[in-house]
Amino acid sequence: MRTYKELPSDAGSNIIGQVTAQMNRLQKRLASVKHTVAIMSGKGGVGKSALTANLATALTLKGSTVGVVDADINGPTLAKMMGVRSATLEYTPAGVKPAMTALGTKLISMDLLLAEDDAPVLWNAHTQKDAFTWRSTMEVGALREFIADTEWGTLDYLLLDLPPGTDRLPNVAELIPDLGGVVVVTIPSEVSQLIVKKSVTMARDILKVPIIGVVENMAFYVCQHCGEEERLFSTDEPLDTAFQQGLLGSVPFDPRLARSGDDGTLYLDEYRDTLASKVLMEVAEKVQAFFEKSP
Amino acid sequence: MKFLCTDCDTAMKFKDVTRPEQGSVTALFECPDCFTEIAMFLNPWETQMLKSLDLKLGGNEEAAQPMQMVRSQLETAKTEAMPNEFSPGMGSGETAEGGKCPFTSVISDAFQEEAAPVEPSGPVWSAEALERLERIPAFVRPMAKMGIESFAKDNGYAEITGEVMDAARGNFPAQF
Repeated sequence: MRTYKELPSDAGSNIIGQVTAQMNRLQKRLASVKHTVAIMSGKGGVGKSALTANLATALTLKGSTVGVVDADINGPTLAKMMGVRSATLEYTPAGVKPAMTALGTKLISMDLLLAEDDAPVLWNAHTQKDAFTWRSTMEVGALREFIADTEWGTLDYLLLDLPPGTDRLPNVAELIPDLGGVVVVTIPSEVSQLIVKKSVTMARDILKVPIIGVVENMAFYVCQHCGEEERLFSTDEPLDTAFQQGLLGSVPFDPRLARSGDDGTLYLDEYRDTLASKVLMEVAEKVQAFFEKSP
Repeated sequence: MKFLCTDCDTAMKFKDVTRPEQGSVTALFECPDCFTEIAMFLNPWETQMLKSLDLKLGGNEEAAQPMQMVRSQLETAKTEAMPNEFSPGMGSGETAEGGKCPFTSVISDAFQEEAAPVEPSGPVWSAEALERLERIPAFVRPMAKMGIESFAKDNGYAEITGEVMDAARGNFPAQF
């Protein structure tokens, strides 16, 4: 009796061919993207999406063409933060035209497809019971389509805003084997760094993805009356040594930055001379420098 | 996934696939030498997994449409986010204007969505027979139903009753 490997092909479904076609479609789209960058943390609530929105804006202001994938399928926030939530996606045979900010940054997000503010991402199924067996596969499929089927055009940078969890980067690395690098976001708290370290290990040691550097978000607060800097987190421990070595910048907490996210206005465009804006622009310069050094 | 006819030592070929019934898909494979058929049942989880991978049993010769998986599978999508020929919650190939859309037909076929109820063209089921049918385990029920209907048709029964099911029982390993 012949064995699996001795049979010439599957029974006619050509499953491998179908999967290969999906990946070819993805690679074809990514061929016009110079650099792909994942923004990750592992920890929730550290400001990944705010940093992604502002890094995208900073790179755009510096003359780069930038696209952003809101890879947080279940908790998409970037359409609101970047002020394009009312955009209507246009479908063409060549792909889906992304939403575009006033400065020209392109965005695709699940938020642009959901019916209502309070509508969760719910997939058609015979039953939602035991959906844990297939939901994450569906989410990776959605992410693949977001990257492959959006008409990005030619991009200098495609940023991917990852949801919390150390398991998220492997999904992206599977879809984008040539992932250009990772920007890690943390806040000064020990709790945050404890989780973020796991993500760094996953990226650096397991997946062998280049770490562009670390952004320390909400590092301190500048009093708007006296200008004095106050730390927001009362930890005596300095930022982890491993993080300090690759520090791209320490972004101060600025209520106007949070307000811009809620209003959907572009903070960097509106407040170009604030300390936070200067740090964010420096982060963007360091990201550009990283790719200039290692093309 | 491959299937071997152990009598002929020949790779079996995909023949047909049913639309899901209660989430379960039945796929038929045939030996090209002796024409023996086997049925493979996918339980609802396996059927859903296939959908989530955007794969089609029997192959997919249609060109992929942009975001076809998200567009066809997202239940909570806003209508205006979809092209005008596609709205979530519509039946297979149905458009907002009530017509048939080639794109959504392709998508529905690709994902083997539940078929809209159609008027039965073969024997009708009595209430008692339907009740007995429900007692058959879900994962074999579609195949059993097809087999009983085929038996009734071949033997000239216009209605499937308990007696017809008893007569057909010898053809099936499952008790009903």
